[in-house]
Amino acid sequence: MTSIQMPQLGETIVEGTILKWLKREGDAVARDEPLFEISTDKVDTEVPSPVAGTVTKILVDEGATVPVGTALMEISEAGAAASGDAAASGDAAASGDGATSSGDAAASGDAASSPASGAAPTTEPTPEPSGGAASSEGSSAAPPPAAVTPPAAPAVPAAPAAPVAPAAAASVPAAVATVPDRGPRSQILSPLVRRLAKEHDLDLAQIAGTGSGGRITKADVMAVISSGGQVAPATAGATAPVTAPAQPMPAPSAGIGEEIVPVSHIRRAIAEHMLASTQTSARAWTMVEVNVDHLVKLRERIKATFQERYGLKITYLPMVVRATVDALLEYPDVNARLDGDNIVRHRFVNMGIAVSYDAGLIVPVIKGADGMNTIGVARAIADLAARARSHQLRPDEVQGATFTITNPGPYGSVASVPIINQPNVGILSFDAIVKRPVVIDDAIAIRSMVNISMSWDHRVIDGEAATRFLARVKENLETWDFAEDLGV
Amino acid sequence: MATQQVEAGAAGHGAEPRGKRGEDGQATYLIAIAEALWEEMERDDRVFMLGEDIGVYGGAFKVTEGFIDRFGPERVMDTPIAEETIVGMSVGAAMEGLRPVAEFQYADFMSSGFDEITTVLSRYHYRAGVPLPVVLRGPSGGGVRASSFHSINPEPWYAYAGGIKIMCPAFPSDAKGLLKSAIRDDNPSLFLEHKWIYRRIKEEVSEDPELLVPIGSADVKREGSDVSIITYGAMVHKALEAADALAQRGISAEIVDLRTVYPLDEETILRSIEKTSRALVLYESYRFLGIGTEVAAVIAEKAFEHLDAPVVRLAPPNVPVPFSPPLEDAFLPQIADIEAAVDRLAGW
Amino acid sequence: MRRTVATKVEPDAAASGRPLPDDRLKEILYFLKLARYFDERMEALYRQGRLPGAIYSGRGQEGTHVGVAYALEPEDSLFPTHRDLTAQLTKGLDLNRVMAQFWGRIDGYLRGRDGNSHIGDWYGHRTYAVMSHLPIAYPVACGAALAYQRAGSGHIAMAICGDGATSNGRWHEALNTSAVFRLPVVWVVNNNQFAYSTPNAKEFAVPTIAERGAAYGIPGIRVDGTDVLEVYGVAREAVERARRGDGPTLIEAVSLRWRGHAGHDPAKYVPRELLEHYMLSKDPVKNFEQYLKDQGVVTDEDVAEIQARVEREFEEGHEYALASPFPEPGDVTKGWWVEDGYWVGEPGRGGGTEAS
Repeated sequence: MTSIQMPQLGETIVEGTILKWLKREGDAVARDEPLFEISTDKVDTEVPSPVAGTVTKILVDEGATVPVGTALMEISEAGAAASGDAAASGDAAASGDGATSSGDAAASGDAASSPASGAAPTTEPTPEPSGGAASSEGSSAAPPPAAVTPPAAPAVPAAPAAPVAPAAAASVPAAVATVPDRGPRSQILSPLVRRLAKEHDLDLAQIAGTGSGGRITKADVMAVISSGGQVAPATAGATAPVTAPAQPMPAPSAGIGEEIVPVSHIRRAIAEHMLASTQTSARAWTMVEVNVDHLVKLRERIKATFQERYGLKITYLPMVVRATVDALLEYPDVNARLDGDNIVRHRFVNMGIAVSYDAGLIVPVIKGADGMNTIGVARAIADLAARARSHQLRPDEVQGATFTITNPGPYGSVASVPIINQPNVGILSFDAIVKRPVVIDDAIAIRSMVNISMSWDHRVIDGEAATRFLARVKENLETWDFAEDLGV
Repeated sequence: MATQQVEAGAAGHGAEPRGKRGEDGQATYLIAIAEALWEEMERDDRVFMLGEDIGVYGGAFKVTEGFIDRFGPERVMDTPIAEETIVGMSVGAAMEGLRPVAEFQYADFMSSGFDEITTVLSRYHYRAGVPLPVVLRGPSGGGVRASSFHSINPEPWYAYAGGIKIMCPAFPSDAKGLLKSAIRDDNPSLFLEHKWIYRRIKEEVSEDPELLVPIGSADVKREGSDVSIITYGAMVHKALEAADALAQRGISAEIVDLRTVYPLDEETILRSIEKTSRALVLYESYRFLGIGTEVAAVIAEKAFEHLDAPVVRLAPPNVPVPFSPPLEDAFLPQIADIEAAVDRLAGW
Repeated sequence: MRRTVATKVEPDAAASGRPLPDDRLKEILYFLKLARYFDERMEALYRQGRLPGAIYSGRGQEGTHVGVAYALEPEDSLFPTHRDLTAQLTKGLDLNRVMAQFWGRIDGYLRGRDGNSHIGDWYGHRTYAVMSHLPIAYPVACGAALAYQRAGSGHIAMAICGDGATSNGRWHEALNTSAVFRLPVVWVVNNNQFAYSTPNAKEFAVPTIAERGAAYGIPGIRVDGTDVLEVYGVAREAVERARRGDGPTLIEAVSLRWRGHAGHDPAKYVPRELLEHYMLSKDPVKNFEQYLKDQGVVTDEDVAEIQARVEREFEEGHEYALASPFPEPGDVTKGWWVEDGYWVGEPGRGGGTEAS
């Protein structure tokens, strides 16, 4: 028995209408003899019989419109049955469908929450091998099938074989602890940060983010990892307490030619400190020129030996610190702070050294600098600067300065007017050493000169004290022989 | 490698390309390409060249100057202005055992042969298993005030067709080694020579005629640790300059030169991201659907857990390349733009 | 000083004499009858919904297709279009593998990567795998011809296209280039008077396609495409010209397309009288069969034998196709690059024969 079905005459045809039956039930029919007339969007035509035999059943009325493939009539074959090629024939539209790309399943992983959304992004990725090299496949819920089986029905839209990665669902409980709100972007955990935290078993709540808006960055996490584990909660490193406002940041829109850069947590702290400082101290400024020709020559002479002996590069800053420490001890009003109606003079020197690093500015403090020789100061500076840049300073290391030195010289300035690091009375700036013509004994000579200046608080000291102080620093630098103090 | 920028317009003279190196023995990008063609023509008789004005005239950019005297008009064929036929003829000749290298006066004119490239050249082997060792080559890219018909970066169009290996070298040695590889490869190749680089960049280039650069391999042109700049073509040189400026400010940029844009060397790209955790994809083809779009997608998809910042793209807008200098400069990514993008990434 | 070549325009020239020995004439009859039977049966299968994809009938044009292809030697290359399957069969393609192609099976010449008459067998019979853009193979034919010219092999390239394709820029580029380089190529236009639904009068403004040869400096010959011997004679001359190194020739073979552009097209745009005239008095198969009978080359029994052979080969081909497995789905991304090795050696046969 052969079933005659509605044929598909044209790639886009989905249905046809029986216009007229040319054979009735009981009629004999020869092979290729027309059975009926059909109408489709593209063509009206007769359909011939694939077999010879007798029409046993007509299943659809004239005038009916039916989908392609619908059984229309049955013919019982005469004599030897023709092979059931109606069943076995290659049906229309089966060829030509490509397998869906296995990349589709992975690509649907973009439905996973993006960290940039900012709201509750802490979803736990499914357990995966550390090392991350194969992380792309591991990140979606199920691996895509290796070989796609022949598509069951033609023209199925490319659906991923695995369900869309459940990481998209916000209902997945967070195994990573929620991070405290330390800024508008402190909730953003990048994929790298999450993975590192997981691999090294870190509690992200314990890590303060130094990234923009309080974000925990790769560097923050790496710093913890490389220092061997979690640290006590660290403040951002500014001496003023950080107030992190809880209100959400409105998103500004950029005009033409403009770019919006959100203010980082550190930046805000610095801004507050600097503004407060200018509103607190009655700031004045004095500068002296210092002839450091002999220091330059000294450094040239000893730097290789020094490097070899102490494993450090020798710069001018430790010498300036030593010279300044001496002057501070001599002029204690400069090494003081104003406390209400009292000037509190320190009999020790905690020297703050301003360090520029990736997040902005930080002032680590050499505690007890008055007790160190130049080598000791050099070591302390190297250590503090390195740990400042890798975000490894402890809170007590950024507090308690009695005086501060800043050194913009390496960047090229020849004179600067720094802002006082509260509650100090003064901040000294050590700028670039340049060769200049100077007058010595009424003749012109070329010497390495540097401008050393100080912003100072006129509430506590006057110009004479400030100038004498600086003159002392200058004298120290111009007359001391540092070689012995440097152990070379 | 010691690479120098030279004044535009410098070129040696002489019959053989090797004789056209500078006095210091270095070769410009253009001369390196000419050397590659010459050596491959000498090595294999089946290699022949066809294109407009390449024979008697020596080519619009003089790449093939002197070739017709050495190899004859059959192997250095001047054709009518019929780009479809130049491509189709290359296919037919390749089917019968020759190895054609078709020159397009400007890569912009390849689109006049678009059908033959994307329907015939790209698909024939996939459909019917006949290898087509055809090389299409021509000058692409802008920054030379040549406007939109002489400055295109057409690689995305033909990458989309599939079946054609597409190379965009940035350095003379790479150009020479890659072109030789392309000519020896049995698959169709598209070799795009950035015209800004032609006479501006020169370097030490090997004289070894067997020294090849593998197709589909990217190269780290500068090591770094803070951000990866994935790029190709003339943008590599801009990125290198930007990297110098960034280093002064303590940001260490790694520069990955793709060299081949299709197929992509995903391994080298991903390895760089694993190292730096930040990606800037810098490309001269248009921003929307340019080559960098695919690179960015690959990084986002396959290096997701190594990213500490979003993947950022920097590319010209989808407009025809403009002529007036301030317009073209605004159109192309400049060093300041690269620096700004890196700064944003580093501070994210 | 450029030579101009005169254009011969000869409509409806009658065939004269018997240019071939009997056995070859019988072979021509076999190809004509195979073509006709194949065309009719495939259309029936298509109407019954048992043939996947599309069919492009060449009925009524067998004189052209068999005539031009029969003039080629095995090492000559042929660049056909979707309608010229008969020419490919005449050049020697295996009917079994052609049928497997129609059913999208692995044993098809293109391993399922293309279907129906978008077929070719380059290494076996030097035919270019048909592409739909018209006439995209014409420039490629120039390339093959260029290679023959350089090698001095004496081989030639022949390309076929339809009347509609002569409007396309590529057609003109190819003719011009072939003339400039004096390539060993024969340009055949199967003018069946309709490009889909567009009649000649709306396709071009000159009276004949053959006279366009003059614009490129090559001879153009118009011939009755329903007379297979006429076509064969003209094609043979053009082939010899090319082989001698005298350059390209343009042949316009005029017939009528009896069926629609493709299976779904009822071709109502063909005027009834024209169609009847061609079907009744310009049937290439019937006319040649009658001619051979009249000449005493074949008897009725011979004809019946050829018909039986054709029917048997068709059925065998159909069975062969249905028994051949589908390509393995995992192979869909293979075969772009030579080095992935897909086309070297046998393909995977695990695809199964069940259509889904």
